[in-house]
Amino acid sequence: MNVVTRGIKNALRSPLRSGAIILMLAISIGLILSMLVARSSVDEKISEVKASSGTGITITPAGVRGFSGGGNALTSTELATVTNTAHITSTSVSLEDQLGTSDTNLTASLEMGNFGQRQMRFETESASSSASSTTINGATTTDSTATTPPAMVARITVTGTTDTSSISADGSDLNITSGESFDNTSSDLVAIVGTDLADKNSLAVGDTFTAYSSTVKVIGIFDTGNAFTDSGIIMPLVTVQTLTDQTDAISSIVATVDSSDNVSSTVTALKTALSTTADITSEVEQAEASVSSLASISSLALAGVIGATVAGAIIILLAMIIIVRERRHEIGVIKAIGGSNFKVVTQFVTEAMTLTAIGSVIGLVLGVLVCGPLTSSLVSSQSSSTNQSTKIGGGPSNTSSSTSSTENGAPEMIRQGFDKIGQNFAQVTGTLTPTVFIASIGITFLIAIVGSAIPVWFIARIRPAEVLRTE
Amino acid sequence: MIEVKNICKKFTSDSGEVIALDNVSLKVNKGEFASIIGKSGSGKSTLLSILGALDTPTSGSIEVDGVDIAKLSASQQTAYRAKKIGFVFQYYNLIPNLTVLENVMLALEFGGTPAKERKGRAEQLLEEVGIEPSQQSRKPAKLSGGQQQRVAIARALANKPAFVLADEPTGNLDSETGKKIFELLHRLTRTENTTILAVTHDMDIAGRTDRTFRLKDGKIVTA
Repeated sequence: MNVVTRGIKNALRSPLRSGAIILMLAISIGLILSMLVARSSVDEKISEVKASSGTGITITPAGVRGFSGGGNALTSTELATVTNTAHITSTSVSLEDQLGTSDTNLTASLEMGNFGQRQMRFETESASSSASSTTINGATTTDSTATTPPAMVARITVTGTTDTSSISADGSDLNITSGESFDNTSSDLVAIVGTDLADKNSLAVGDTFTAYSSTVKVIGIFDTGNAFTDSGIIMPLVTVQTLTDQTDAISSIVATVDSSDNVSSTVTALKTALSTTADITSEVEQAEASVSSLASISSLALAGVIGATVAGAIIILLAMIIIVRERRHEIGVIKAIGGSNFKVVTQFVTEAMTLTAIGSVIGLVLGVLVCGPLTSSLVSSQSSSTNQSTKIGGGPSNTSSSTSSTENGAPEMIRQGFDKIGQNFAQVTGTLTPTVFIASIGITFLIAIVGSAIPVWFIARIRPAEVLRTE
Repeated sequence: MIEVKNICKKFTSDSGEVIALDNVSLKVNKGEFASIIGKSGSGKSTLLSILGALDTPTSGSIEVDGVDIAKLSASQQTAYRAKKIGFVFQYYNLIPNLTVLENVMLALEFGGTPAKERKGRAEQLLEEVGIEPSQQSRKPAKLSGGQQQRVAIARALANKPAFVLADEPTGNLDSETGKKIFELLHRLTRTENTTILAVTHDMDIAGRTDRTFRLKDGKIVTA
């Protein structure tokens, strides 16, 4: 039996007290782990936000927003300016137009509603005034037109684009439910049609429709879940430019910048270059705001790591001080019969290390249980909503989860518990990078070393003559 | 041979300087069983700690086999205690969470006995002092006071020390057991030729040792 085994043996000398120390240590180590995991997933989220939402710049013709306002469309000259601006890695170009009833044989799938009607009121007025002027000037046959102004019908939005994924709300690939998409550089008379518009007009892949007096073939149906987008038509950019006699016209350019750090400077550069011809908007301010709030969560998590480390160190420190004080006499005996300071210190450091090691194993398990929910509540509301929907979908029909667990009894609850642990573990291992793992191990050892430092000093000061002290 | 020459020990307390040992000299030959008697406060404990290399005197020298242990550094004192001195205490002072055998092996470890030889030597020592093999794997608390003191004696003798320092070795035992422990110590001085210095207040025991020193107010009054 050597000094190390004595230290390990001593760690478990008083099971109740060792258990309490280990439990407290485990809680702080669990906290350290969960805070580290939370921090790393927040950091991951920050870089994700920086990489995606922050890097898009939208360039539209000056004075135009959607179909409102007025001005000249952008051209390939402006596009070239944008493409040649530093830090811009890619661009997607689109031209939007609207199909009125005279332009197409399709029926719009959107209802006008009170909002739509209000937006259309000027055009109805002009139509009725032109009708009444016709009445004044001549033939009575126009009377019928005058008394019944044309019914207000929503228009169908046509988007010509070089990148269909720019249409989907989240920038992912457009969800084509049947058929296929077109080649982005195509100039064919082909279109992919929103699912709402296709339903309204009973269009299927292979059908044709008329637009701008040309026959266009439907090659795909898409579904974005967005009512406005799903009531529209998407065609290749060149096709729309040709059909609408707007060769070279562009209504919107979305440029992607290489890094969110360069967005501000690129926006400034573009504003200078296109000051009179284009309006430039970016998500840079919004992205900065969201990143800054995430960054504060990240530093909060770091504070948590430090706090839990300090707490852990204090726990082991106090425990070791108590242990050393309590075994003062025993240390005196060991020194009196020839035990060196080094041997006694090694024995007690081993004891502290053993307590910390057991505490960290339990703490890591606790951390895995805790940090899944913690991380998702800190970072993404998305994962929790997914969990809920899974529960609703997967659970027995119309029974709440509490009812189902009482019905199925304890084994079911245990099974659900294990499922939950499994889920947590999957979530944690997703963010439990080697760095985080090494950091937790390192911090744990730091705790043990700091926690033993002062007791070691105490041990060194205990005089062997202590042994002669009257009991 | 132990030769104590003119040792003085002074402490500074709030009430001024206290002289615990005043010019103490004594001599014990190899294989002798000597006793030190005296009332509490007479300086017994201080003398004991100085003899045991647990403390250093203010002045004077303690020569053990030609080495002045009063001049050793703290780490040299530790090594000296491990190899040259065996302690037997009134309250046995065995390590409670180690077995009887491990307690003896601990002293062998400090004394520098190779790990492989410790167990055999410890078993042999325990048998010599009358601890059965079946009791050797027990914790000290499971043994009687007399048995614990036997284990402590085995531990003290583990490294074949120059002398054994016994602090009231029978003080915590009933007279019958105390007598047996005394006999054991006495036998060891004969068979192992071990020098023993025992501090006691039991005049009966003191009277049966080879030599008795009486301490009074820090001075040797009878030699």
